Amino acid sequence: MKKARWFSLAILIILSLLPAGVFAQSYLFSLDELRADVYINQDGSVSLLYEFAFTNAPGAHPIDYVDIGMPNRSFSMEGVTAQVNGTPVKVSAADYQGSGAGFAVVMGSRSIPPGGKGRVRVFIPKIDPWLRTDSKDPNYASLEFSPTWFGKEYVQGKTNMTVTFHLPPGVKPEEPRWHTSPSGFSIEPLTGIDDQGHVTYTWGNPAALGYQQYKFGASFPAQYVPAGVVVNPTISETLGIDPGALSSCICFAGIIAIFAGIFYAASRSAAQRKLQYLPPKIAIEGLGIKRGLTAVEAAILMEQPLDKVLTMILFGLVKKGAAEVIKQDPLEIKAIQPVPVELFDYEKDFLRAFQKTSMRERRADLQNMMIDLVKSVSNKMKGFSRKETIAYYKDIMERAWKQVENAQTPEVRMEAFDKYMEWTMLDRDYDDRTRRVFTGPVFVPHWWGRYDPTFRPSTSAGRQTIPTPSSSGGAPGGGFSLPSLPGSAFAASMVRGVQSFSSSVIGNVTDFTSRITNRTNPPPPPSTTRSSGGFGGGGCACACACAGCACACAGGGR
Amino acid sequence: MKWLQQIRSKPVANEAATPKLYYYDRQKPGERSRIHLRLDADGSGLLLVNANRVVHLNPSAALMAKLALDGQTPAQAVRELTRRYRVDRQQAEQDFRQIAHQIEELTRPDGACPVHDLELEITAPFSARPSAPYRMDLAITYRCNNDCSHCYNARPRDFTELPTEKWKAILDRLWEIGIPHVVFTGGEPTLREDLPELIRHAQMNGQITGLNTNGRRLRDRHYLDTLVEAGLDHVQITLESHDAQIHDRMVNCRGAWRQTVAGIQNALDSSLFLMTNTTMLRHNAPWIGETLEFLASLGVPTVGLNALIYSGKGVTCGTGLGEEELSPLLEVAKQITAQNNQRLIWYTPTQYCHFDPAALELGVKGCTAALYNMCIEPDGGVIPCQSYYHQLGNLLTDAWDSIWNHELSTHLRERRNLADKCHNCILLAECGGGCPLLRLALEE
Repeated sequence: MKKARWFSLAILIILSLLPAGVFAQSYLFSLDELRADVYINQDGSVSLLYEFAFTNAPGAHPIDYVDIGMPNRSFSMEGVTAQVNGTPVKVSAADYQGSGAGFAVVMGSRSIPPGGKGRVRVFIPKIDPWLRTDSKDPNYASLEFSPTWFGKEYVQGKTNMTVTFHLPPGVKPEEPRWHTSPSGFSIEPLTGIDDQGHVTYTWGNPAALGYQQYKFGASFPAQYVPAGVVVNPTISETLGIDPGALSSCICFAGIIAIFAGIFYAASRSAAQRKLQYLPPKIAIEGLGIKRGLTAVEAAILMEQPLDKVLTMILFGLVKKGAAEVIKQDPLEIKAIQPVPVELFDYEKDFLRAFQKTSMRERRADLQNMMIDLVKSVSNKMKGFSRKETIAYYKDIMERAWKQVENAQTPEVRMEAFDKYMEWTMLDRDYDDRTRRVFTGPVFVPHWWGRYDPTFRPSTSAGRQTIPTPSSSGGAPGGGFSLPSLPGSAFAASMVRGVQSFSSSVIGNVTDFTSRITNRTNPPPPPSTTRSSGGFGGGGCACACACAGCACACAGGGR
Repeated sequence: MKWLQQIRSKPVANEAATPKLYYYDRQKPGERSRIHLRLDADGSGLLLVNANRVVHLNPSAALMAKLALDGQTPAQAVRELTRRYRVDRQQAEQDFRQIAHQIEELTRPDGACPVHDLELEITAPFSARPSAPYRMDLAITYRCNNDCSHCYNARPRDFTELPTEKWKAILDRLWEIGIPHVVFTGGEPTLREDLPELIRHAQMNGQITGLNTNGRRLRDRHYLDTLVEAGLDHVQITLESHDAQIHDRMVNCRGAWRQTVAGIQNALDSSLFLMTNTTMLRHNAPWIGETLEFLASLGVPTVGLNALIYSGKGVTCGTGLGEEELSPLLEVAKQITAQNNQRLIWYTPTQYCHFDPAALELGVKGCTAALYNMCIEPDGGVIPCQSYYHQLGNLLTDAWDSIWNHELSTHLRERRNLADKCHNCILLAECGGGCPLLRLALEE
């Protein structure tokens, strides 16, 4: 529950909250209607009449007490009355459990049960004058009022809210002025005459929020109330400073003895009002994970070193049967015709680059290929979350490794590796992990011969092993000649593929990378941290890809 | 002026979290950012940068954003944060510094990308439930000097128009509600002589202003300069074809093309942000490539494309393209705009099972009526969007809450009444079932 601002003549209703252990239910209700009549009396005092229509939510705690808080103690309990559905009920200052001053409506047998409805009417006959001199016209008196509002956690639905100011007797319809209406209410209040002949201003909103503070105000000629009841705003009011804060300042100025009590009370009150802190969060609307990237594209997104990305492309082509390595050092490959399957653009560009015999031209073509690839990934990522997408592909990478690592036999292991190899290559620890995983005999995949020109099959079977000078142990499947260090040899061969690129094709990796990033991602944004050998994901043009963009459906069609 | 308003205008500490719209105009040599921060009653916030970047802030982030934009030092911010929240100073300072950095990046024209660099949390498209739209289209008149055979306007051309002062009151009301971006539209808004005055008023409020026009009056350079001087920020000009005959036939006005192109050229020669818009229909779609090349030759930096809107004459004109026909046209558009270094904006909400703009990398497009944008008719009536002619109330006489929470507003926001096939679709969040007007037209 919130307390109304101190400068407003406001009432705070607090549903009395018993200790948490006493009951399991929480208060939850709709405030279907709130009507407040603010009477400015001839003597400058104010009378208040409230009427609330509650609907208690099924399963919620009964509405058994209604605490009515007041901004200060300048009201008299004498004559305060309350009714529930027309039946008088008690009011009690002693039963008030809210903060500051106030009193409680004791619902007693008239408590509103879960799922029930009830109308609560409260009349406060006299609150001491609370009028201020209008800043624009010293001959006018000003009054502002905020009707009660409830904690958001207790209120559901909309409230039909009506607030009526009854101006002092004698005020003529053309004399008063209304203050700016709160949001959601009509700009101008309805002007009327009540049954006592007093001018009224009425603001209404059938869909107000019961948990929102609304402020209403009016000014009228000060001559209609006794001299002296209209006072100038205090220093704290003029400065807009909370009295608590003001008293704090004074305390520090040294008048501790006088204001110590006030300071203590203010501090205590402020502490009670402090809100629970939830870590700050900034969000933007968009798409989450970009699915459907190839492993090579995911590597770009994950800012893998470019020599590794090139190796991944090479493996992809070799696996597809679209290319064959002629020589590993320096790397030479040739395209296999006809191309067995549809290739990605970057794969086609890669093959075209290797048709160039000039190393300089080949390097330039590979750079252009990488630039196009980076831009393509950047486009594909428009509106998608880079963070979530990277996490997604890391997860794929981990699951790929698990498939390989959990394999019980060399055949199954190689089968899994063959299937998921490009995803395992996303691992920054790929080299070492490959060496750790392939410790036993390795059955090489069927395409290995296209990758390793020195490889000669040791059997005529479809599955082959890496040849080594000596062998040990028995063959798991029979008919195979097993190498003594097949795993390490295999791993070394995979890793060598990356090294071949860095040493013989693209030269210095850092230079190669910088020539690409200079064109895809000129000066990197300051908040981005990049790892050595990595590169940016390309220039970003997310602005209109984001769903929340206000340009959506912006008036076309004419 | 009452005393309360007077003290409110002073920069007091308590104002740090007062729910309202705050405006910041940041200018440095060569760059400008117009920033709006809307603080809602529940403490949450909405940050809009140049009216096209929308960021959502939870209450603590909203307060930090306000403090950062106010230029508060970390020490001052920590004081305010610890006063309001149960948080220790160290945590408050650490969080404030991070948020202040992010706000700085988000508000710079060339700042880091919120998705890729700042790695902000991504929420589902169209999942925000703001307290008011981000943009209000102001159909200040339904008069028009064109007579498009596919026009979505469903009102008579002599529909009641509010006088200037009432429109100013509307602009003020929109500011109070927290709407930072207004677009003058119609009909043809340049037919109202008070347009510069209204732009100036909005500009004085702190609102970003746009103009949707057929561009014909902008051929008058002096008139265009008047709009720019009044504070107009951006303009969208509709050009239907590179071919004068096709354009003039579609807008049913001889000589219109020449004037519109002259208007585009004048706008290009001004400080305005210009984009064009072309409705792809049977009459012009076969030559969409030529039209885009023509726009590129003029130097238009941003082009918008959309499909027929099924409202007004659009319901019966019979020249609309099926959603399944859009993909190849937009492939062409993508290719040409990419070649010419133009930005392509696709507007129309479609059913993604027929045409998926995200798959074509055109961004996520869905209906945002009564969510991120709404429209005010010439008489002050509020409608969900500028093509959905059902008034939700009148801004001058009805409470904003009753308009915003009108049954139809809620209905559109919550995407009710979708086809059965949509409910289990994995693309529903992005698609939203396409344009409600098309669904209505098909039902009828």
